Amino acid sequence: MEDFPLIRLEGISKYFGKVRANSHIDLDIRAGRIKALLGENGAGKSTLMSILAGRLEPDTGRISVEGQIRRFRSPKDAHLAGIGMVYQHFMLVDTMSVAENVLLGHEGGFMISPAQMRERVRKLAERYGLAVDPTASVGSLSMGERQRVEILKLLCRECRVLIFDEPTAVLTPVESEQLFTAMRRMAAQGKAIVFISHKLPEVLSVADEVAILRRGEVVDAFERSQVPDEAELARRMLGRSLFKEPGQAAFTGETEESGQGARDLQQVMSELPIARIRGWGGRAGRGRRIAQADSVLSLDGLSCRGAGTAGFSKVSFAIAKGQILALVGVAGNGQKELVEVICGLRRPDAGSLKLLGQDYREFFSDLPEQNGLGYIPEDRRGVASCPELSLVDNFLLTARKLFSHRGLLDRKRALRATRALIADHNIIPGNPQARGRELSGGNLQKLIVGRELLRNPRCIVAENPTQGLDVAATEEVWRRLRVARESSGILLVTGDIAEALALADYIAVIYRGKLVDLFSAANQEKVDQIGLMMAGSASAD
Amino acid sequence: MMSGWRIVSRTEPREWGSVVIFAAAFALSLLICGLLLQVQGKDGALGVGLLLSGGFGHLYSYGETLLKAIPIFLCSLGVALCFRLQIWNIGAEGQYVIGTLGGTWFVLTFASLPGWLLLPGMLISAMLAGGFWACVSAVLRQRFGMNEIISTLMLNYIGIEILKYLIYGPWRDPAAMNFPVSPYFSDSAVIAQIWNSSFWLDFGLSENIVDVMAQLCGRAHWGILSCLIAGCLCSFFLQKTRLGYEITAAGSNAKAARFAGIPYSRLVILVMFICGALAGLAGIQECSATLERLEPHIVVGYGYTAVVVAWLAKLRTVRIAFFAIILAGLRVGVENVQLELQVSNSFANTLEGIILITVLAGQFFNDYSLKRKFS
Repeated sequence: MEDFPLIRLEGISKYFGKVRANSHIDLDIRAGRIKALLGENGAGKSTLMSILAGRLEPDTGRISVEGQIRRFRSPKDAHLAGIGMVYQHFMLVDTMSVAENVLLGHEGGFMISPAQMRERVRKLAERYGLAVDPTASVGSLSMGERQRVEILKLLCRECRVLIFDEPTAVLTPVESEQLFTAMRRMAAQGKAIVFISHKLPEVLSVADEVAILRRGEVVDAFERSQVPDEAELARRMLGRSLFKEPGQAAFTGETEESGQGARDLQQVMSELPIARIRGWGGRAGRGRRIAQADSVLSLDGLSCRGAGTAGFSKVSFAIAKGQILALVGVAGNGQKELVEVICGLRRPDAGSLKLLGQDYREFFSDLPEQNGLGYIPEDRRGVASCPELSLVDNFLLTARKLFSHRGLLDRKRALRATRALIADHNIIPGNPQARGRELSGGNLQKLIVGRELLRNPRCIVAENPTQGLDVAATEEVWRRLRVARESSGILLVTGDIAEALALADYIAVIYRGKLVDLFSAANQEKVDQIGLMMAGSASAD
Repeated sequence: MMSGWRIVSRTEPREWGSVVIFAAAFALSLLICGLLLQVQGKDGALGVGLLLSGGFGHLYSYGETLLKAIPIFLCSLGVALCFRLQIWNIGAEGQYVIGTLGGTWFVLTFASLPGWLLLPGMLISAMLAGGFWACVSAVLRQRFGMNEIISTLMLNYIGIEILKYLIYGPWRDPAAMNFPVSPYFSDSAVIAQIWNSSFWLDFGLSENIVDVMAQLCGRAHWGILSCLIAGCLCSFFLQKTRLGYEITAAGSNAKAARFAGIPYSRLVILVMFICGALAGLAGIQECSATLERLEPHIVVGYGYTAVVVAWLAKLRTVRIAFFAIILAGLRVGVENVQLELQVSNSFANTLEGIILITVLAGQFFNDYSLKRKFS
């Protein structure tokens, strides 16, 4: 048996139309090992894992389990072969208990004893070090605990291969550490773990072996012990040595020479019939008189009850032009509601909110089309884009008013602008008629960021702008935000401390709808406590 | 083991294949209709033959088909616009009725106006009446969260009851021997037929040609112009205007619309109004051109056929025209079958339903292929 790896992928290829997602991929997955799958956005990681999990069928190639060739026609086939996946979006029933969720859909006897169920789940949780109360209702759990329930579901079905798709995106640093401990424990007990991540430090800390995908091919595969540090790992991943140190001062004020795309964009924008956008070389528009106060965004005692969620209460801070304030917290602590209130999608219950020196009612009643508010939402596919429409149409989503004159839409010009934006941001595929859903998350995000910055907003709200993005794309988004800061104030909402430290001047930590603390990013003592503050276990003073 | 075929999802859309799929599905639906007739003890093959020849096989079929295609096309254009925004308006029938009432009211009230005022006044009045009737559902939906499917459907029945009340009551023609009909419209409020034999005879055209043309055009009327105009405007609106774009975007993803500051509620009211106006226009033209007065017969389910057409056409304007003509032709054909084989008049509805189901089911093959299993 030891001659065969637990899972062997051989010559796997998958095409979507003419797009090559996977090409002749060979990969071995061994019991007791943690394998990290690294690659840029659109490198084909998700496709490959979907094939392994039975959600897609490969065009060519074969999968063998313990040396026997198997075909997975559905996720059920993969499940039967002992392969399970922990998705980024949990599939749990909130109103049911942990034990019920774990055993849901589990084939067994007709009669179920609740006590036995709880006992079984408790034992399982103990064995793998996944602390969670079997009787608790899932709705009351933190994201980290919910993830453990998802893992328990797979373990309970006796999965031998567990695939984790960016599992730390929703976790606090402490929860991430706990997850890694559990992963090592699972591996020690003979499970095979596949771990998809963009975060190089995580890969270095947890993986036994690493495979790197680029343009649908495995370009490199090696033992963890062969790479000494992040820089080397990044170099292997990108195939070029691009950056200095992740998350730190990659930006030193160097002016990136503007490429052809940027020049084209400049050209199109300056030609718009109403050249009133500052910063695009148009006439220095008759733009609205905006209070020259430095404060771009100020909140004072702002509160809002969420619909079915806790919302937030008494939040106060101010952001001036040229500043980035990072609001750090684990997802679900009121950030979403706060962002919706600031962006005019929800009304606050109490407190004051001023944008560009104006009360929010006044501001939103006559929303300035440019030099106003730019919002980069977290949910790229559900909120920020229309997956079924073309890139041009997606580009027009918030830029439509700039490209219309007397109610008529100037599609030709919008097409040129989209082409230029695609070239400028190096978006793949480069066809402006491609549909939104054909883009990988990172490329879609590039389009969205480009689109939102196009109107030269004075106030920018960016919600987890680099979640799920690879190193290169993350650097690119950060660079754009830093450039945008020159003329605006930015509220960066993030769950990633590294991102906050890389960008922000000030850091505010939110927990259960309240600001725990607000401090300068240079305050090392406070910075060291961020992880604890996010978990609610540090006092504000 | 299972059969030797398996289902594979297609990554690229079919090109001409989808036309073949449509034709096959259509043929299948006719086959099913033939079998249904056979079960009733009629000659199925003859029935299908009568169906097709009635709608498309004779010289006189075309005018009659066109006549019915006009209201179906107009209603369907509006319905498709609503569907594009994911507003499931199935109230074109009621909007058609109320529009007719609005137009009739204008004609009966201002009968003495000169033609150049009466005719446009009638059309505008009908469009406004239909439009506002549709807006009732739109406001109920946006203000009170009422499901538009329920409200538009219910308002259809209310609209028809209002029609009955007026025709049996205040608007009944005293000279009509107690029949529930309104007085005839004044001549200037009647929309003319396309082929005017006496005009062309006076013009000096030979009697043979005039005769053939009269058969060919039948009762088709100048309302066809309104179809051309409405179709062009609708395409232009959707492709070239900002509002049209906003409708497409909001229909594709309502959350994204909210994010982008698209005024969703206003769009809902707008598309419902346009749909109601088009349906109202269809109703009053039908009333004025074919009956020349208001009769209960104007309600024949064009509003529901329009929903079928919109779905079959996947909301595309040119395809709506195509399917409007096909379904109109089948309606004419069914009349032929009824006459010859004495089947019930609900056979027309059955036929429409079967076509819708087979063609929609056939669209499965646009997204999936069957492939042979290899062992």
